[in-house]
Amino acid sequence: MSDMISIDGSQGEGGGQIVRSSLALAMITGRGVSIDKLRAGRTKPGLMRQHLTAVRAAAEISGAEITGDSIGSTSLTFRPCQVTPGEYTFSVGTAGSATLVLQTVLPALLVADGPSRLILEGGTHNPWAPPFDFLSKSYLPIVNRMGPKVSTFLERPGFYPAGGGRFVVEIEPTRQLNRLSLLQRGSLNQRTGRILLSNLPEQIADREAKELLRLTGWERDRISTEQVAAQGPGNIVVLELEYDAVTEVFTGVGEHGVRAETVSRRAVDAMRKYLAVDVPVGEYLADQLLLLMGISAWQRGEESTIRTTALTRHSSTQIDVLRQCLGVTTHVTRLGEHNTVEVSVKRQ
Amino acid sequence: MSKHRPIVVFGILGTLLDRGKAGEDRWQKWRPSVAICQHEDLLITRFELFHEPKELPLAQGVIADIQSISPETDVRLHELHLRDPWDFEEVFGSFHDFSGKYPFATDDEDYLIHITTGTHVEQICLFLLAESRHLPGRLLQSSPPRRHNVDPGGYKIIDLDLSRYDALAKRFFTERQEGLVFLKSGIATRNAAFNTLIERIERVAIASTAPLLLTGPTGAGKSHLARRIYDLKRRREQVGGSFVEVNCATLRGDQAMSALFGHIKGAFTGATAPRPGLLKTANGGLLFLDEIGELGLDEQAMLLRAIEEHRFFPVGADHEVESNFQLIAGTNRDLQSGVATGKFREDLLARINLWTFRLPGLAERREDVAPNLDYELERHVSSTGRKVTMNQQAREAFLKFAESPTTPWSANFRDLGAAVTRMATMASGGRITVAEVDEEIARLNSSWRRQHAQQPDLLSEVLSAEQLASLDLFDQVQLAEVVRVCRQSANLSAAGRTLFASSRANKAQPNDADRLRKYLTRFGLNWAQICPER
Repeated sequence: MSDMISIDGSQGEGGGQIVRSSLALAMITGRGVSIDKLRAGRTKPGLMRQHLTAVRAAAEISGAEITGDSIGSTSLTFRPCQVTPGEYTFSVGTAGSATLVLQTVLPALLVADGPSRLILEGGTHNPWAPPFDFLSKSYLPIVNRMGPKVSTFLERPGFYPAGGGRFVVEIEPTRQLNRLSLLQRGSLNQRTGRILLSNLPEQIADREAKELLRLTGWERDRISTEQVAAQGPGNIVVLELEYDAVTEVFTGVGEHGVRAETVSRRAVDAMRKYLAVDVPVGEYLADQLLLLMGISAWQRGEESTIRTTALTRHSSTQIDVLRQCLGVTTHVTRLGEHNTVEVSVKRQ
Repeated sequence: MSKHRPIVVFGILGTLLDRGKAGEDRWQKWRPSVAICQHEDLLITRFELFHEPKELPLAQGVIADIQSISPETDVRLHELHLRDPWDFEEVFGSFHDFSGKYPFATDDEDYLIHITTGTHVEQICLFLLAESRHLPGRLLQSSPPRRHNVDPGGYKIIDLDLSRYDALAKRFFTERQEGLVFLKSGIATRNAAFNTLIERIERVAIASTAPLLLTGPTGAGKSHLARRIYDLKRRREQVGGSFVEVNCATLRGDQAMSALFGHIKGAFTGATAPRPGLLKTANGGLLFLDEIGELGLDEQAMLLRAIEEHRFFPVGADHEVESNFQLIAGTNRDLQSGVATGKFREDLLARINLWTFRLPGLAERREDVAPNLDYELERHVSSTGRKVTMNQQAREAFLKFAESPTTPWSANFRDLGAAVTRMATMASGGRITVAEVDEEIARLNSSWRRQHAQQPDLLSEVLSAEQLASLDLFDQVQLAEVVRVCRQSANLSAAGRTLFASSRANKAQPNDADRLRKYLTRFGLNWAQICPER
């Protein structure tokens, strides 16, 4: 027990992310973690089904011994053995986000001994997690820049509440992650708006497109509509800004009882916030990159630096977990503009 | 070493609720059987879903949707063959059969019974089977989301075993059902002797955990009373375990030992799994052994030890197991004569007849026919959901017959209950009329006549074969009827009143008891010989 790292699950953001990050890093270092006060402050404390799926997925790829892996459990120990790359299928219930499960298992497989092919089933476009488009357009291109070759394709989207989405991720690992430096966006090459619609009247997409054009002033051919075949109804508005150095994705998710115009406006609002500052990395991307930067610093001792919009509670939680699991230090320097910061991670 | 008990849900496919709306719009509507699998904090490993055969396509659609939102859940379909899903007996019977055959593994799995879908009768039956522990699970009640939301709504798990629930139940049961009246099932009885008896039973039941012995003719309500005593003690939180009831006449041969005391795996051929046995099941609760006189001698010896030391050996076991239960024994036989003939252990009898209560038959409580008639009518209504009343004329006709001293009521309250059920079933428009009453009286009389014809046995119990052979058939028939009436009566005077009911009306000073005594003496008989248990 003594060689296990103790993590206070209630620190910082205090949610499922601590679990996902702790397990991801435990599989990298091979050191066990014991997490207590899991999701302590939440209305339904302890592990929920989506977390449990992530825990079990991590245990499956690493042959880990686990205790406390039950619904409502507020303490969990996870003792990984050997990470085994290969073919895996992970299914998430309750239309919970399959992208979050991927975030748990991906880092270990990026630096594993051989290639992997993952099939992930569940929600791909739900309101509480980064959508599949964030993964494919924004996150994975930067992952690839750090050495591995990861590709993904969406077989079928999964919306809330019906779920049933499915995507495949193929991973060619690297031995060690390269350092990352992401300080500038570079020039804007492309901007597009996509509206996905499943089992809902076309008129919703028309209204969303109209509102997007009104708010952004973009040319009409920038906006496209796709009818997709998913289980149950679903709708999402995805805006993409493709720069030389980074692509950022902004979404508005259609929900029962929310006007089509509001869905478009949510996506545009998120994009405007990003456009108001001049740093390359948005907040969701920052959370995920911090993890990879920590791994790179731990493996190679090289310092990685990014510039991002304000640090969220998720980011500071991520920084704490990095320090506890990897012993790496994070420097945060405020830049002049708004709350933007430069974040660098290096070995102590 | 990770330990998580799988959760298994039993539910009925809601033909309306689970259909939702047509096509993909179904996801906009709350469908209980799908929604219950959508909760982040409820992981259902297996879902045993009942459906009507004609609803198979809907059931398959629901399975596909559950697979999508809950890949962890294995859904298994069970066809419910019901002619009428609103028929209480049929529904109860079919769930009861299911619960008897289902391989419950309560040590390894948790069971939840989803009572949100199905007809009200189906829901009530599931509730009852959960309460009686035939379905050893907790109730699961789900509720729709707030208006315009598409989330899975809410759910509650209700454990009927918790004393918290008892407290809740108490609030709904009025004072009327407490204590004495409770034991009488709320029947306002008029027979003074019976009321005194119930008062005594109540005092003893509340104050003591010693065994009780209930005697009395078949159908006098021993089993019913034992159940009420248990309910009363449970309401007072004096017992926490279950009510376990068995008729010892059904325990014969090798199975008797293992049924009562359990066995270990491999104790004998066919013992592929361990069995706890009824005594262990009654741990912390109450065990009612009806017709205890039918128990074999070996079982009696084991039972005695179990009562005295709360320990016994299951069949094939090297170690004793412990079980602490209160015993209520029932008998319609004379156990004392069983001791005399060596069929019943004297030490066991001594142990169980510390408190002996003799329940009188209906024939001895004719003034209670009317309140029991009302009770049976009410019971019929609540069990079938169909209101049935009796018109004034019909009621008078039935009571005149029922209260008459010549009406034997040989199976006592069982006869009365069956009579009411038959009349209520025959009554068209929910109203019992003189026509149904007349028909029923004829039916009862003919059934008692049939029993009569088979009754020379009665005489062989009181007379030797020699004596019997010397009697004319003429006398045999008369004496048999006299003995039968005596056995249904509280004492010699009561029997005399019944036997000489017509002639005594014309006498200034009736001396029925004396007439009867003299009559019996002619055959060398006296009261004690005819009714030895009193």
